[in-house]
Amino acid sequence: MPIHKHTADAFELDAVIDQLAHWLPTQGPIKDFIHHNTLHAVQHFPFHDGVAVAAKVFGARSYLPIEDYQSRFREGRISQAAIDWAIAQSGCSEERAEQLRLELFAADPESHLPPISLANDGIRNAWLNHLELDMNALVHPVMFRLLSNFLDQGISRWVLPKDGESFWDCVLRLTLNSLIPLYPFHQAHVREMLNQGPEQVIMHCLRRIVGDEQLYAQYLLEVLLAHPGWSGMVRIIETNPRSLLVPRNISLKQLLAVELACELAFVDKKKGSHFLRIDQLPELAAIPLFDEAHLTPEVPLKMRVWHEAMEWSLHSELLLALGEQPVVGTVGPIPEVQAIFCIDDRECSLRRYLEEVNPAIETLGAPGFFGIDFLYQGLDDVYPVAQCPTVVKPRHLITESATRPRPERKDPRQELGKMHFSAHSLARGWVYTQTLGLVYAARLAWSVFKPAKKLPGIRTLSEVEAHGHLHLLRENDAPNAEGYLLGFSLSEMAEKVGGQLRSIGLVKNFAPLVMVVAHGSSSVNNPHFAAYDCGACAGKPGAPNARAFAWMANHGGVRAILREQGIDIPATTRFAAAMHNTSRDEMVYFDQSSLDKDSHAALQNFQHAVHKALQRNARERCRWFELGPQTPDNELAHKHVLERSASIFEPRPEYNHSNNLYCIVGRRSLTRHLFMDRRAFLQSYDPDIDQDGGILARVLSAAIPVCGGINLEYLFSRIDNSVYGAGTKLPHNVIGLLGVANGVEGDLRTGLPSQMIEVHEPARLLLVVEQRLDVVDRALAKLGHLLEWLENDWVRFAVCDPQSRVLNLYRKQGWQAIELEKDIAAPVSSRSEKIIVGQTKTIPVHRFIGGHS
Amino acid sequence: MNILLLACLLLPLLGFLLIFLGDGSERKVARIVSWITRVKGVCVIGLLSMWAASGFKSFEYQWFQLYQHDDYQFPVLFYLDGVGAAYLFCVWAIFSIIVKYCRVYMHRDAGYQRFFQTIFAFAFGLNIIVLSGSIDILFAGWEVVGISSFLLIAFYRHRWQPVRNALRAYTIYRFCDVGLLMGAWMSHLLFHESQHFSQMGSLFNNYVNNPLNYAVLSLLSALIILAASGKSAQFPFCFWLPRAMEGPTPSSAIFYGALSIHLGVFLLLRTMPIWSFHFLPRLIVFAIGLLTVIIASLSEKTQSNIKGQVAYASIAQVGFMFIELALGLETLALLHFMSNAFLRCYQLLVSPSIVAHLLRVEGAVNSDFYIKDRQKLQYLPTSLRDVLPDVLQNTLYVFALQEGQLEILVRSILWDPLKRLGAAMGRVNAWVKWFTAVALLIWLLIAVNNISPVAEVYLSIPVSVLMVLVSTSAFSQKHSPFKIWNSVAMSSFLAALAVWLMVPNAIFDELMFLSGIVPSWLLGLWVLSRLLKNEHFAESSFRYRAFAQTRPGMSLLLFISFLGMVGFPITPAFLGEDLLLSHAAGRHPWFALGITIAFVVNGIALARMFLRLSMGRAVRAEVREFHVG
Repeated sequence: MPIHKHTADAFELDAVIDQLAHWLPTQGPIKDFIHHNTLHAVQHFPFHDGVAVAAKVFGARSYLPIEDYQSRFREGRISQAAIDWAIAQSGCSEERAEQLRLELFAADPESHLPPISLANDGIRNAWLNHLELDMNALVHPVMFRLLSNFLDQGISRWVLPKDGESFWDCVLRLTLNSLIPLYPFHQAHVREMLNQGPEQVIMHCLRRIVGDEQLYAQYLLEVLLAHPGWSGMVRIIETNPRSLLVPRNISLKQLLAVELACELAFVDKKKGSHFLRIDQLPELAAIPLFDEAHLTPEVPLKMRVWHEAMEWSLHSELLLALGEQPVVGTVGPIPEVQAIFCIDDRECSLRRYLEEVNPAIETLGAPGFFGIDFLYQGLDDVYPVAQCPTVVKPRHLITESATRPRPERKDPRQELGKMHFSAHSLARGWVYTQTLGLVYAARLAWSVFKPAKKLPGIRTLSEVEAHGHLHLLRENDAPNAEGYLLGFSLSEMAEKVGGQLRSIGLVKNFAPLVMVVAHGSSSVNNPHFAAYDCGACAGKPGAPNARAFAWMANHGGVRAILREQGIDIPATTRFAAAMHNTSRDEMVYFDQSSLDKDSHAALQNFQHAVHKALQRNARERCRWFELGPQTPDNELAHKHVLERSASIFEPRPEYNHSNNLYCIVGRRSLTRHLFMDRRAFLQSYDPDIDQDGGILARVLSAAIPVCGGINLEYLFSRIDNSVYGAGTKLPHNVIGLLGVANGVEGDLRTGLPSQMIEVHEPARLLLVVEQRLDVVDRALAKLGHLLEWLENDWVRFAVCDPQSRVLNLYRKQGWQAIELEKDIAAPVSSRSEKIIVGQTKTIPVHRFIGGHS
Repeated sequence: MNILLLACLLLPLLGFLLIFLGDGSERKVARIVSWITRVKGVCVIGLLSMWAASGFKSFEYQWFQLYQHDDYQFPVLFYLDGVGAAYLFCVWAIFSIIVKYCRVYMHRDAGYQRFFQTIFAFAFGLNIIVLSGSIDILFAGWEVVGISSFLLIAFYRHRWQPVRNALRAYTIYRFCDVGLLMGAWMSHLLFHESQHFSQMGSLFNNYVNNPLNYAVLSLLSALIILAASGKSAQFPFCFWLPRAMEGPTPSSAIFYGALSIHLGVFLLLRTMPIWSFHFLPRLIVFAIGLLTVIIASLSEKTQSNIKGQVAYASIAQVGFMFIELALGLETLALLHFMSNAFLRCYQLLVSPSIVAHLLRVEGAVNSDFYIKDRQKLQYLPTSLRDVLPDVLQNTLYVFALQEGQLEILVRSILWDPLKRLGAAMGRVNAWVKWFTAVALLIWLLIAVNNISPVAEVYLSIPVSVLMVLVSTSAFSQKHSPFKIWNSVAMSSFLAALAVWLMVPNAIFDELMFLSGIVPSWLLGLWVLSRLLKNEHFAESSFRYRAFAQTRPGMSLLLFISFLGMVGFPITPAFLGEDLLLSHAAGRHPWFALGITIAFVVNGIALARMFLRLSMGRAVRAEVREFHVG
């Protein structure tokens, strides 16, 4: 438990720093984007308690404004039954409940505002108020300049650190060995202090500033939380130097030492050497402390009830529809094509349309790394990237090699068309601006008034075009210099492919063509591009994984091993890879040359169906774009999404996971006849072949952190976009290729920008598993620490019986039978287009009847 | 042509008003914006082609005489020549592109209406400057641009950092406005009614008979150069520009990439006859340009954020323009301006692409992206590393990192003395204040009774000293918004009093001045007392109070009264300020210094107070919660 306890123990700096680091955001450099629970620091609390504690630390909002809930109630998106349910769950007394029912509908403009918090009202702020010193405004610019120049990955032309130099040494060098000393370390006594080394500097400053050892930890925490973005970044680089392309030697301790020295230097400069210490503050008794007394969770009951009622209303829409799904008996005919999509909620609608267009296509869902974890370095990539969820640590490196010699390319810096990327300033800049600047008038006007439909420079984005061959088969077992194995052995391949096929339940009835469809997203002028790609591939396009999977599954040797293990892939079955571009609604197909004639014909049929499905999908997406065409014309809609992905002024190339709400683990027959409005992560899973829950445990251990992480990151970024989220994209400035900040001297922004979450309904994920309760219990027993997500309700977990369709909700105390109102049924319709007409908000789950296949 | 010119000028104002009075729905705002820009385009092209058809002759148009009193004239005067035409075209082109860009870019932003309002106000100010026919009119535009910059930098007002940086930029603007304000006054003094830009050139053609002396002319030149280098972020004011990149990217692009930063160049082009007349001011412009080029290009090397890098690159190019101007290469500078404006605008707009560009495009081949090329991992270029000793290398790096120490320099020279003076004033005890008041009264009586003709002159000295002191005490006051507000008002009254003592027959002009100040003052007092009724301001004077979020109406009123108090051209006080200066300083030039210092300091003190009150993020005052379990 990372809360500091008041004890008589001596103050141990390293231990305290490790403790404090739990409170920092864990968002790495911007080239990768990994969704995670924003409030991982309080995940050991039940959801509401955790949120309340976090609010008291970070000074953030915990719920939506009460009028949002009230207006949802008026619109019918929160039902009275759900309010009753939520009140019952809160366990409050009968009379309190009566009173609560009245309170819920009273106006309260302040109910959602953040509470008194350590970050905003702690000892440090009280002290600074007392001294009348705008410390953050003095210290932060100095610190951020040093940090960003030290960690910079390629923007500045002169690099700050020398080879292998640590942050502390670097600062020391600039301070002690320069004719112009680093401001504000120019004062003699500060320079003297710096010679003592970081640990002594911290202790010395704490003695001078804080005084009381009991308060040291809190002061350090408040210093770190005054710029959570940079603190978190430093911690990530400290614990995982590989997250940077050019490694840097830095630690939180060095950061704190420099920052405290800087603070002390400013205080000394402004107030002289005798100033009031924190332990001498007259109002000390009234200031919240970093201890259990302040951090007791206090949950505003009415907000909790409103929030749970909203969630339960949304959740019961799905549960209602699931309960009515028919039970399938025997296995149907073998489909023409099977297509394995990513679990991603954005594929939910595409799969629906694909099956509507051609009912002989069966779709399946799996996390988009398709069970194959590796580091990948494409032909055009500067460095290898991990292509798997962060929980997995890959051991294999896969590189791509060209199949045919490629034309020598020019150095892009010499290309005049790219000239604006290097902000020349001296003589060359003079010549360029004198001569070519005016060309940019035309270029600018052109890109604003006639946005292109094709992406600029798309050829160099490796995920879109596969120009080479993947080195998958390992030739020898010697690891390379970094300790990675170059490729997989046949048995490793068989293990990965077999594991994947088993977990999605595809072990028999193989179609002649099995498509493996990854996804990625194109956007321009978007530093958060990684957050738009595949979450299961750590924010990369999943194409390499799909190609690898198809190659492995086509390999004779792999199939032979699989056959021994009971998965008999017929010789007539071919696997092929493709990638869905989620922002442009386009599909790219890879390695078609490896297909034989029969499967080629099947592929053509598939491509035909995909083409239609993508256009319909584009239209369904357009209903979210206020400035987009609200038309029944699919072509027009598709044209619009193409434009969107390629225009430099479009901050919303797509809405990503904005709709995410459900995760369903089960057979496609459970969801095939449902309209789920792109809200569901769909994981295929066959309850019949998993009697001991082993497969389920494996499926859940990927689905919970990936889908839950996405869901909670969206949720908290939506609830408080300026503390948990990154605020609006519009003023963002790219800092050192590490992240974005507001303006030139801002803190790094973590979380999601408002343009990604604005239409999101901040409800927790409902994870439904199609399986018997006893098997689920067995699977949960194997889940380990991930069980925390379910026990503390960070994810709602329900089970749908494969035979009876009886629903049960997981509670820490035991399974709770779900009773939905008897007289209400899920709305029905015959096809998707009818449902989406004129709708601009989320749509309840519909059942398809009649004409639908 | 006159009509077209007025249309060019007033269309942005019309746009501003329509948006301001509209209900703020996004579609309506967008429709207004797109129509105004289209009509404006027609007007601009019409105007420019008529001007071309007339053989590119310089064109002057006096709309009306705003004010006339004795020999003092304030004509509303417009002027169009090659320089103006180039600027007019660029302003329109970039403005149209940016608003089109923002139509989608700003979509769903909470401040959609506010953004377009401000950007139209900005365009209005720019057009005034570009088409102005005299320094007075130019100054009016200058003020509009200053305030709208301030508002756009602080666009995201719930965060303290944009707010602070807005204040920083405003401070520099304000300080450099001294140059222009005094310049305006001096041009009255020097040229009397002929302060028209159109006649300025010819004024010096027959210099032989010209009575102007070098000293005065040099002073005027220095003031103009000060104003120009402040607005264009030239030496020693480079540091504010990168920090002003706090608003939405397109607003940074249009202000600090494209247009606002080139206004200094425009001012220099316009006043070329004045300052290029003599060798010394030319040398100053050249030196400023050169120093800026050196410092900005060094600073650019160590900028690790993309907008800062573009900003310094742009500053360096403007430095070149200054050099070109000093060498008399006007056409080259004009061309340079246009190219630089479009290029930097584009660079800023696509600046978010840098991540993808560096990681995926440039890194893809074996280029200088240093991840592949380990050589580049070293700090400083090889040439420097081999030649310089360690200590000089470090020095160079620190110099570049701290952007030439300019901010530290400016702060210690300009602001610290003022703060110290103000703090000292704050410590003066009540006794002394009473004593001063009594003494003042006695002086007044003497003056009123005309006991001695000397009195009016010499009595005004202590009054104006007092005025400056009161202003500085407002500047260093932190605990009470009322004190700041009253001190500023007091300072304005003292200014009027001092002028009255000097020029008793200017009573009408003083009344005009006060007719702007007094209502603003009273309105402000009322708003402040309403806002701060239940607040204990002094207890936590450092908190941002977020009234713009919690009480937007009151906050707007406060802003309006703030504008009135600082002599923004919405009240007669703006004109009055100019009149006071010309009256008083006409006889006693030393007075100009005092009144301008007071003017600058008042503005800063009030802006700071306004920010503390209105900006920031609302927090729940008390915690009313219910325990569960």
